[in-house]
Amino acid sequence: MSSSTIVIKAPSKRRNNPIYAHASEVFLVTPGDVITEDADYMRGHGTYTNAGDEDNKLYASVAGVVERINKLVCVKALKTRYNGEVGDVVVGRIKEVQQKRWKVETNSRLDSTLQISSVNLPGGELRRRSAADELTMREYLKEGDLISAEVQQVHNDGMLSLHTRSLRYGKLGQGCCVVVSPSLIKRRKNHIHNLPCGATTILANNGYIWISITSGDACNEGDGGFNVNKEPVPLEEREVVCRLKNCIQCLAKSSVMLYDTSVLYAYESSLQYQVKEIMSEKVSLEIVNQTISLLEREKTGDG
Amino acid sequence: MSLFGNNLSDAEKCFIIHGIQDDFRTDGRSCDNYRTIELAVNVLTNTHGSSKVRLGNTELLVGVKVELGKPEKATPDEGRIEFHVDCSPNATPAAQRKAANKDFVNNIESMLVRTYANKIAIDLTSLCIIKGKMCWIVHVDVLILECGGNILDCTSLGVKSALQDTGIPRVVVKSGDEGEEEVELPDDPFDVQHISVNNVPILVTVSFVGTRHIIDATVEEESCCSASVVMGVTRRGRILGVRKQCGGSLNPETLVEMLEFGKKSGRQLHVALDKMLKSYEKGTTGYL
Amino acid sequence: MAGLELISDQGYRIDGRKPTELRQIRCRLGVFTQADGSSYVEQGNTKVLASIYGPHEPSSNMRSKISHDKCIINCEYSQASFSSAERKHRPRGDRKSLDMAAHIKQTFESCIHTTLYPRSQIDIFLQILQSDGSNYCACVNAATLAIVDAGIAMKDYVCACSASLAKGTTLVDINHVEESAGCAELSAAVMPKLNKIVYSELNGRLHEDEIGKVLDSVVLGCNDMFAVMERTVREHVEETVSNFTHS
Repeated sequence: MSSSTIVIKAPSKRRNNPIYAHASEVFLVTPGDVITEDADYMRGHGTYTNAGDEDNKLYASVAGVVERINKLVCVKALKTRYNGEVGDVVVGRIKEVQQKRWKVETNSRLDSTLQISSVNLPGGELRRRSAADELTMREYLKEGDLISAEVQQVHNDGMLSLHTRSLRYGKLGQGCCVVVSPSLIKRRKNHIHNLPCGATTILANNGYIWISITSGDACNEGDGGFNVNKEPVPLEEREVVCRLKNCIQCLAKSSVMLYDTSVLYAYESSLQYQVKEIMSEKVSLEIVNQTISLLEREKTGDG
Repeated sequence: MSLFGNNLSDAEKCFIIHGIQDDFRTDGRSCDNYRTIELAVNVLTNTHGSSKVRLGNTELLVGVKVELGKPEKATPDEGRIEFHVDCSPNATPAAQRKAANKDFVNNIESMLVRTYANKIAIDLTSLCIIKGKMCWIVHVDVLILECGGNILDCTSLGVKSALQDTGIPRVVVKSGDEGEEEVELPDDPFDVQHISVNNVPILVTVSFVGTRHIIDATVEEESCCSASVVMGVTRRGRILGVRKQCGGSLNPETLVEMLEFGKKSGRQLHVALDKMLKSYEKGTTGYL
Repeated sequence: MAGLELISDQGYRIDGRKPTELRQIRCRLGVFTQADGSSYVEQGNTKVLASIYGPHEPSSNMRSKISHDKCIINCEYSQASFSSAERKHRPRGDRKSLDMAAHIKQTFESCIHTTLYPRSQIDIFLQILQSDGSNYCACVNAATLAIVDAGIAMKDYVCACSASLAKGTTLVDINHVEESAGCAELSAAVMPKLNKIVYSELNGRLHEDEIGKVLDSVVLGCNDMFAVMERTVREHVEETVSNFTHS
């Protein structure tokens, strides 16, 4: 057993580190602020108008940044629950097994559903689901299991229907899950990344980030995630996964946008420290600062 | 005891258990590391002593108030100390919780009572004012604000710090009219006496996961552990109370190993806590 | 009340404030990571923690109240045993707490855009750590900040303030001593930018000629409160956005 010293310290003043002055083009609003009085603009998320008013004042209903895309005005809040869109990649936890579907918890306003007809059968068979399939639903996915899926449909009330009909999705095996706010996940073309350090991450749109080791076998990859590998993960690969987990948590605490580049930069900046040191305040600030400066350099390098 | 247990998938539990076998937990700690502990005392004004503790994601406030009362008939020359634990609604997001909450809270209270109810922990005779008639009753209120695992250790750290910070008004016993004894409270609010906390226990929870023991389990690790043992350890390493929790069974040798392991961690905690309290400067409460 | 002067002859209150002066206000957003939104507010010696969960799927005991066109708001108010000078035995569930929770729920139902979140539930949890008067007002202010932190759509901020009348002068933001003095006490919650009163409550006896004066000073107090809250929110948003935009 390694000798460890327990340190108890007084609480430090909790402050986010405002090292970079925000760009002045950014238009910040708080609830009740008037965004514009121009009637031409269409209103998007985070805005509202008063029905009874004669003038077409557009008010903000959340605190955040105003985004103008052509004639559409919306306010992006700093933290929200997940609002699903068709085609998004999500990671969810099975909450309930119902008659012909599973209820999945996805950090959104309402629980999502996964129909039995929307999953792949073992071996990739194509056939109609029978009554026997309904009874064996729990053998495939039971309460507590984590799955990766895609949003198939968004219903009127905001409920999402998921599907795992591609071999990229399915039940997730050994690894860690980190929960962050959905607004920190940058929208990209691809959300499932095989990082060069040997880990695979799924930066799901709903804020659930899954980190696991890159499985070498081609056949496992194409399995649709039915059989879960319960072999112990070797120590070096475990270290990679845990290091990534800690780095992502540091970035999320300082509200840095999460995508493959930022996660990689954070990983590289953290290599000089031990994995358990990353969670301490001093080291995590160091890592975040380094990540942001690397990202800035990349941006100015490009443009 | 995981009230707020995330239900994890079997594969995630597998990952955690194998990690512990390799002495490398999911946040990189080894089996005998604690998460960062932050502590502040004298944070509440309406109390005689208070403290705020943050252990990783677990946060709680402890307030100590003393009042005058009658001693128990069985122990006329001793004061009393009572523990009350409350779980703030902030700490439990999920579907309620009334029955489970009550069990959870009772568990903590009974563990505190058990480890403090002996002659070693606190000298209750120092709380007696007039034998058989009047004594100090010390009410210790614990408010759990956020639960991230290992709530018992965190509570005991808070209780020890709050008790050390407690100032009991120094009363003077005078003989009044009709030969009755009267008690006079001091005018100066800073004229206080302190309770000695030299032998006060700190609770240490040792969890048995797979085939190894860990301390300071997070919520996820608690849901993987088959059995855990809670013990009250004093600064000198004496064990004041033991209880086994959770449904799994333990070999007698394993139990003894876990007690030794917990004793070592308990002493380290005392050393760290005493060091911190000695050099503590009253300042921010940590929220601002 | 005999022997206790709420206003001295020089015009100062018991704690040294002028009649229209608010207590020192300190607040912070995003205090807890577990909740969707959280905040901490200090008004003098009154300290409140608020946390918001939601909008989320309604929990099993609220299933009966699900509404197809708007969200249900569930509010819980609890006061720590050590919060008041007299030790409180029952932290929650007593009549006063349930009453307070119902008032706060009503306040926010008129201010959150409930129609945007049909069939969902929003939980507002308030915890009083230290109580020194104007509990309702501090709770409303803390809940507003927590809702802003959670990104839930609101029409406007809701700021609350209390006032009481002593010897013909209105005292704004009353503390516990002034509350127990027995004078009439008016609390109100106001939406400052839209200039609307969302909730108001009067305890005690007030002459109808004087009610206008007291109400005006409450509204002024709310506007002062709003200035502080707005500044806190803006600072918080600026700090967070700086990391957002640079990544």
